[in-house]
Amino acid sequence: MSLDLAFLLRVLIFPGLTFILFLTMFCDWVERKIEARMQNRMGPTYTGPAGVFQPFADFIKLLTKEDIVPFNVRDFVFRLAPILSFSIFAFAFVFLPIDGVSVVSNSNFEGDLVLVLTLVSIANFFLFLSGWSSINPYSATGAARVLTQFLGYDIPLFILALAPAFLAKSLSISKIAASQFIPFAFVVPWVFVLFIITLQAELEKDPFDIPHAETEIVGGYETEYTGRRLAFLKLSKDVQIVLGAAIAVELFLGGPHGPVFYGPSAFWCTLWFVLKLLVVIVLTEYLTCVFARLRIDQALVINWKLILPLSLLSLVAAVGVGLWLYPLR
Amino acid sequence: MARLSPILKEVLVHLFKKPATRKYPEEKPHVPEGFRGRQVFDISLCISCGLCARDCPAEAIEMVEVDGKLRPLFHLDRCIFCYQCAESCPRNAIKSSGIFELAAKNKSDLVVKPKTNHTSAGGSQ
Amino acid sequence: MNTDKILEALSNALGDGILQTRTLRPEKVCVQVKVGAHRDAVKVLLNQDGNAGISAITGVDLGKTIELMYHIRTCNTIITISVNLTKENAKIESIADLIPGANFHEREVSDLFGVTFEGHPNPGRLILPEDWPENVFPLRKDFVALNFQSKMENSEALKDNGRHSIDERLVNIVFGPQHPALIEPEKFTLKVDGEVVKEVKPRIGYVHRGIEKAAENRTYLQDIYLVERICGICNACHAACFCQTVEAIMGVDVPPRARYLRTIILELNRIHSHMLLLGHAGFEIGYETLFHYMWRDRERVLDITEELTGNRIVASFITIGGVRRDLKEDVISRINAELETLKGRMNFYRQLFEGDSTLKMRTKNVGILSRQDALRLCVVGPVARGSGVDMDVRRDEPYAAYNEVPFKVITYDEGDSWARLMVRLDEIVESINIIQYALEHLPSGPYRVRVPRIVPAGEAIGRVEAPRGELFYYVKSNGTASPERVKVRTPTFANILAFVKIAEGGNIADVPASFVSLDPCFSCTDR
Repeated sequence: MSLDLAFLLRVLIFPGLTFILFLTMFCDWVERKIEARMQNRMGPTYTGPAGVFQPFADFIKLLTKEDIVPFNVRDFVFRLAPILSFSIFAFAFVFLPIDGVSVVSNSNFEGDLVLVLTLVSIANFFLFLSGWSSINPYSATGAARVLTQFLGYDIPLFILALAPAFLAKSLSISKIAASQFIPFAFVVPWVFVLFIITLQAELEKDPFDIPHAETEIVGGYETEYTGRRLAFLKLSKDVQIVLGAAIAVELFLGGPHGPVFYGPSAFWCTLWFVLKLLVVIVLTEYLTCVFARLRIDQALVINWKLILPLSLLSLVAAVGVGLWLYPLR
Repeated sequence: MARLSPILKEVLVHLFKKPATRKYPEEKPHVPEGFRGRQVFDISLCISCGLCARDCPAEAIEMVEVDGKLRPLFHLDRCIFCYQCAESCPRNAIKSSGIFELAAKNKSDLVVKPKTNHTSAGGSQ
Repeated sequence: MNTDKILEALSNALGDGILQTRTLRPEKVCVQVKVGAHRDAVKVLLNQDGNAGISAITGVDLGKTIELMYHIRTCNTIITISVNLTKENAKIESIADLIPGANFHEREVSDLFGVTFEGHPNPGRLILPEDWPENVFPLRKDFVALNFQSKMENSEALKDNGRHSIDERLVNIVFGPQHPALIEPEKFTLKVDGEVVKEVKPRIGYVHRGIEKAAENRTYLQDIYLVERICGICNACHAACFCQTVEAIMGVDVPPRARYLRTIILELNRIHSHMLLLGHAGFEIGYETLFHYMWRDRERVLDITEELTGNRIVASFITIGGVRRDLKEDVISRINAELETLKGRMNFYRQLFEGDSTLKMRTKNVGILSRQDALRLCVVGPVARGSGVDMDVRRDEPYAAYNEVPFKVITYDEGDSWARLMVRLDEIVESINIIQYALEHLPSGPYRVRVPRIVPAGEAIGRVEAPRGELFYYVKSNGTASPERVKVRTPTFANILAFVKIAEGGNIADVPASFVSLDPCFSCTDR
């Protein structure tokens, strides 16, 4: 069997692993700069032009630090969890069309929406394991909070993600992205708003950044990690944020599709994808800046009493809109 | 339901404002008159009474002999810049300046010796 | 209700238990009683005034005896009950059952002077480390400085400190001494069941620097700068209280211009401290945007302080006999302009605190301290005023220029974290008004009087309303250039017991939010 070089390049370089890494670092810089400007301060400024290389510098700095494994931890899981969570988050990107078509587009697999959301849950579970395997009351509390939060908010996430699937009549992300003449964010705006709120909770950003609440439980599940493992843990959190925003872009904002001018369509598709991604990231960052941090029991009450019933109702309303747009024959 | 929090608009407005951070060391801050910076010692006014050394709360002034008379030597690494010495001096020989950038690479730079016929403090500038 | 009535009730109840009565300047009564009669005296005072509380317990080494002074705060003044104990038999009954707020005061005296308080609910080390040698008492006059290194490992301190825990299956979460939520180190061991806190054990003394002992080796002039550095944030209040007390011993009156200038710097200190705390509160509950905005606006106050005193934080502005430098006319207009801008910003923060939903979810009904608990634990400052206790030294016993400047005392009744933060927010606006009034009505004249370096023998008490509450100083002079005893009772020391009360029964997540609303300043606590 000969190696398909083009496929390999797509997986590893563009729009694969290397591109994802660079995109993550860039989005991290955008986040920090936007948050800083909203808080009337400078943000990263000195590393590279306007501080663009700051996330790279932070990552490399952590790679060079001493890697300490405490005595009593569950060694295998402790060492495995950061790598696995990063890998799974990065793997989920192959199903998202970034430059027009996804990396695995020739496999005719039609259910990748469910697969991607499941992969997100599994990777979150590994974040929980990273905290649970460090024998430290702060980590255990942080891990318990991560589990409670993401398991609870996964349900509305799935339900809300079904609305665009119903409108596009397919569970394939590429087809959902391609069938949006008007982005679904404008067709079913209530679903989009709820999805963004649920995304805040999944990505653990204010008001839901309870699992790594610095002032209460020191570092949450990250407390015992140092050096390279901490670098990968932080990287997996950043990739999670980009993945969450990318899913929102694909499902609600039309993915990489947009007006194409001269030149290769792959370039324009990537450009539109990145621009829409930045819009979602700025939106989530704005929500981060204007809210305080909730307590875990308050977050849970909001989920089970407010978000879950609302998401069910909004799915019903979206189905109604879908039936009105494409009447049953 | 409470009215909308004013921070929603405030945060958006700040996104387009210049940051409030001053880019030190390219931009220097404004030092007001009377700022308690590094001491300026006028040796021609000194009468060697030793009141400055006696009143210093941090024991940062040492009377040393220069040209046959006792003069104050300032240990800037112990000084708390309270300027009790300037107050106790009966001849107003110690005054303040606006110099606050006093970081030094070795301790001997922080010892300000009294020099003869100088109107500014000796040691390293 | 005045002091004569109380003294009459005391002499009726105690009869010949009273040995003698003397006056601590300025016009404060000290009643010396026999060793066993102090409990009856305290009971009489509590009966006469329901709001009475203990301000401090001072120990003074008089050579052969130790004089123990209970300073009870009642009827807008301090009445002192003093008892003389011999050094060989330094035992006395505890009053912690009558006034629960006296708990930590007694432990401190027993640590530093070696007095045993019989019947104390939880005796043990408070300020000194656990492995400090026995029978060595630092504040006694025969103390010789030793070369001591504490070798306690942290695991030792995690064990029981003398109190037995209620349930062995609870998890110990150690909050401090190094923790992102605390800016200064103290240890609070929380025993939690899931997310609910069942028991709190505080351990203070990590920042103890022995300032009270160090003050006895320096001259009065040098001591001003020493006590200023007990706390960086409320430094002007410490200097003001010390200078007030020494001026009372000397019988010196400060000129009117100096009194107004002292008022201005004290109120600037209050604004800057409250803004620091409100920003820090934002940080604790995860609201970093509030933190950055509040501290950016605080820079204006620091710029004003720099113009007035020559330095941004540590003012070094007040001295014995007045203030050290004058305020020029052109500076006044600049200060007024900055204060007007600040008032506008305070309006914005007020709307934020009243309107923002997540902030209210984190602070309303969290960390409730009832009025009765506040009185029993003798808390001071905004912690007391947030629970409905109306006390403020600026109004009760005016000092500096507060008898001529009109202002309101802010109280809220809810007793939760939100109420305590709102008290401070409103006090900032009141302080801005006070400064503007003082600047407008600044009298002309000298700004200091020259005082002799040797202070005549005597003793005095001074009280100042620091940003965190009532600051209490007792200074005793023996006619030399150095004081005989300087006793400092800082407001956070009086509020420490409230930490235990409001944390027990709540969530772990509420612990930083409640602690920060009590405005802890542990450098002040430990001295």
